[in-house]
Amino acid sequence: MRVGLLPTEGKSTYRFMVLFLATIGILISSLPVIVVTIMSFSGSDNTGFPPPELSLRWYWDVVAMFTQEDANSAQSVVDSTVTSLLVAFIVMVISTMVCIPLAYALARGDRRIREGMELLFTLPLVFPLVILGIAFLLIAESLRLDIGIWRIVIPHVALVLPFVLRNCIGAMNGISVETEEAAISLGASPLRAIWDVVIPLMRAGILAGLIFALIISFNEFTITFFMYTIDVSTLPIWMYSRTVSSLDPSTLALSVFIIVADIVLIVLVDKLIAGRANLF
Amino acid sequence: MSISLSRPRALAFSLPAIIAILPFMGACFYIFRFSISAEKGVIDGYSIQAYIDLMTPFFGRSVWLTLKLAFVATVIAMMLAVPLAFLLTSLKSPLARRCLTVTILLPLILNLLVQAYGWILLLGPSGVLNSTLKALGIIERPIFLLFNETGVLLGLIQTSLPLAVFPIVSSVRGLSQEHLEAASSLGASHWRTFVDVTVPLLRPGLVGAASIVFAFNASAFAIPLLLGGRRVQMMGVAIRDMISPLFNWSGAAAAGMILITLTLIVLVFSSWLVRVTSEKVRG
Amino acid sequence: MMKKAETHPKKWWATIMEEPNMTKNLSRRHLLATSAGLATTLAMPSLVRAQPLAGKELRLLTWSDNTGLAILDHIAKPFEERTGARVIADRTGSTSEMVAKLRAAGDRPQYDVITLAGVGAVELAGDGLLAQPDLNMLPNLADVDPRFRTGADGHGIGYLLWTGGLIYNTKTFQEPPTSYAQMWDEAHKNRLFLPPSTWTDALDTIFATGKMIGGDGTNSAEAFAKLAELRNNILTFGENPAQLSELFRSDALDIGGVYAPAFYAAELNDPANSNMGATYDVDEGFFADLMYTITPKAKPGDDEVVHAFIDFTLDAEVQGIMAEAVLNGPVNQKAVMSDAAKASPFIIKPEQMGDKAIVHDKSFIAEVREDWINQYNQTLS
Repeated sequence: MRVGLLPTEGKSTYRFMVLFLATIGILISSLPVIVVTIMSFSGSDNTGFPPPELSLRWYWDVVAMFTQEDANSAQSVVDSTVTSLLVAFIVMVISTMVCIPLAYALARGDRRIREGMELLFTLPLVFPLVILGIAFLLIAESLRLDIGIWRIVIPHVALVLPFVLRNCIGAMNGISVETEEAAISLGASPLRAIWDVVIPLMRAGILAGLIFALIISFNEFTITFFMYTIDVSTLPIWMYSRTVSSLDPSTLALSVFIIVADIVLIVLVDKLIAGRANLF
Repeated sequence: MSISLSRPRALAFSLPAIIAILPFMGACFYIFRFSISAEKGVIDGYSIQAYIDLMTPFFGRSVWLTLKLAFVATVIAMMLAVPLAFLLTSLKSPLARRCLTVTILLPLILNLLVQAYGWILLLGPSGVLNSTLKALGIIERPIFLLFNETGVLLGLIQTSLPLAVFPIVSSVRGLSQEHLEAASSLGASHWRTFVDVTVPLLRPGLVGAASIVFAFNASAFAIPLLLGGRRVQMMGVAIRDMISPLFNWSGAAAAGMILITLTLIVLVFSSWLVRVTSEKVRG
Repeated sequence: MMKKAETHPKKWWATIMEEPNMTKNLSRRHLLATSAGLATTLAMPSLVRAQPLAGKELRLLTWSDNTGLAILDHIAKPFEERTGARVIADRTGSTSEMVAKLRAAGDRPQYDVITLAGVGAVELAGDGLLAQPDLNMLPNLADVDPRFRTGADGHGIGYLLWTGGLIYNTKTFQEPPTSYAQMWDEAHKNRLFLPPSTWTDALDTIFATGKMIGGDGTNSAEAFAKLAELRNNILTFGENPAQLSELFRSDALDIGGVYAPAFYAAELNDPANSNMGATYDVDEGFFADLMYTITPKAKPGDDEVVHAFIDFTLDAEVQGIMAEAVLNGPVNQKAVMSDAAKASPFIIKPEQMGDKAIVHDKSFIAEVREDWINQYNQTLS
């Protein structure tokens, strides 16, 4: 518990402002989701909000969609989901493994280089995804190699790097040099100091980075839309090819499904990495 | 600093990341090459015609609109993200923390089309808000919160909140207790502690988060399309339109290069500004 | 050349899980084979050729919404049953991505047949990426209205007509409006929608405005001046048809055009709940834009299947069924329509494709397109 950041008692305006703004933030994030979730339980075909009756029929439709095979289509849902998970996993691993050493090097290095590199790694966010999608597609096709799943992994890694790096650097900012020096003075080699002391201290930031990588990759649509092939396709693409109308209540039910799937994945990652340690 | 990273070691640490970003740099270069292509659909020859064609007042307005909206959205997002970060780090129960984390991450998970639908149900001309206000007799005609700049701002803030909150959280965790305790023991009010101690300590994290948010918002195209009713011509929309149906890929690439340059300028300038002002304070 | 579909993708987990598709396909083929065998033993001579294309595959790329689904149900499946070929449909296309993918794929495209809007076909033909189908292998073309047979320099075969008219709110209008001029009525301020600048429907709107003020449609300068009056009356541009549907349902929109009733097959059948109506019976006329099937030069499949498929899309019965299902206009003049379809005001019958239908001159449109799109943006945004 930190003193001063958010006082637990007292009627100060500070506390009020913090809670007020935080609540607005929460509302903005969650209101559409709440509305959509409620609508997905709507009993009738086509009514406004709030729905007059509730039912699970759209969810049954979605389950049927998952289990029905469609011999005509290029990809089955199982294929797509497995690919999505595999891609997300690879992206998570690669991005974290390259960002941790980089964050360390930047935090302990020259200020100007750090700013330059931070800027460089923010670049993927700046280009509209559509342009990046076409550029990656054109490059991939001109390679004339069948690189399979890497078609999707490589652009995803690029997209995810800004977030992962930012979170790792943020984590590094809190680790003072003295901590490392203490470890070294106790006899550890510099590398051991990093491995045994710095990285565990970075855990929260690393975990945040992993979760970002997971969510962004798993749900990524625009660039994947350009890069997918008959053999390699992801869940968002499969979903897109299945939605008859973009705002059928069954689409809403499907979206809620995806939210639940994401939450499950997040909790999994959290438990695996943070264990019983605090996430934030 | 007695731990200094030796050159070779620093390089070794940085190398994997540099390799990871190489394909992206390749794509950047490709885009650049496209923007100076003489043909609109393929890369062929050299010409800056694409850039020249863009120099219309309409495009200028689009640039200004993009920068303005991205900036405003960034400021508001930061104003909401900091309290959220404080709240997140102050929660005691892990369950509450996880719930809040998931809530903040929701905008990244849910399909944008569906989220736009949710906003229409809530804030549309016949949505929940307008109907309630009408029923209470407060308004006659509906308030138009969507399909204009307000709607776009709302969407931008919503989707960039998660991007802002988590880097700030990482920085907050790194805040040393002693500083805060010292300030409060000296009798500083909460606001004073916040302004004089917390913010300066968080500054690098804040600037980092703001940079991400700004860059992200400047390139937005789906939100202006869905929540702006296409009346808000941000550069992302213009670029997407040039890709299809205009099939003017070199023009799109040129616009993309301009967008990137402007964003970089803003980012560099703001970090310089922050550094200069904080040096003044410290000096 | 190894066709990708023939190699089973290497899935490390396939050893653990059974591959569902394969089993079903095997049993399907088995079923087809046995039924074909049975048919021959019943000595019906016409069925001896029942499965002429058995074992062949066709890769189709088409749209994702209910038009794509209709293609699966009414074209792909019957085609498979008739010929024994297998149609693998990728239903994630939208014209911009289709063009991008074909351009990127160059001489190794993934698809055999693609349905897409005219602009895409013209663009790709210009790139030299398309093959010119052999018209002799398309007997059904003889029944197709000559205006709609081919396009993009012979690289595209007419498929269906994307028709646009006025969409209106059935609560506001007891009778369908009869002229595009209705959109300028001040009563509809902030309850009006127009098509997005990037859609062909926007060009149609400019044309319609031009006709409305007395010209022949090409008088764009005056048309834009007239359109500028609408700038502050527009609630939204109809980028997302489902959003418009919600706005009509919640009684937030009155009228809009030129827009395609084809998006709203379900809503138009249920005006009590959806509040949506559509009309083609407008003084200035309604618009018909031809959509094409195209086939890339270096396609993986073979010519026989591709031509058989394209010919099937032009079949009179198929055209009638598709017209009814997705509210597009048929190109086959002998399209067979059910009585319900004939009675419906939303389904264009071949007879209607006469005087009231405005079909743009392709070269004219190609010339002014970019200019009009930009001006549309600037006038109205």
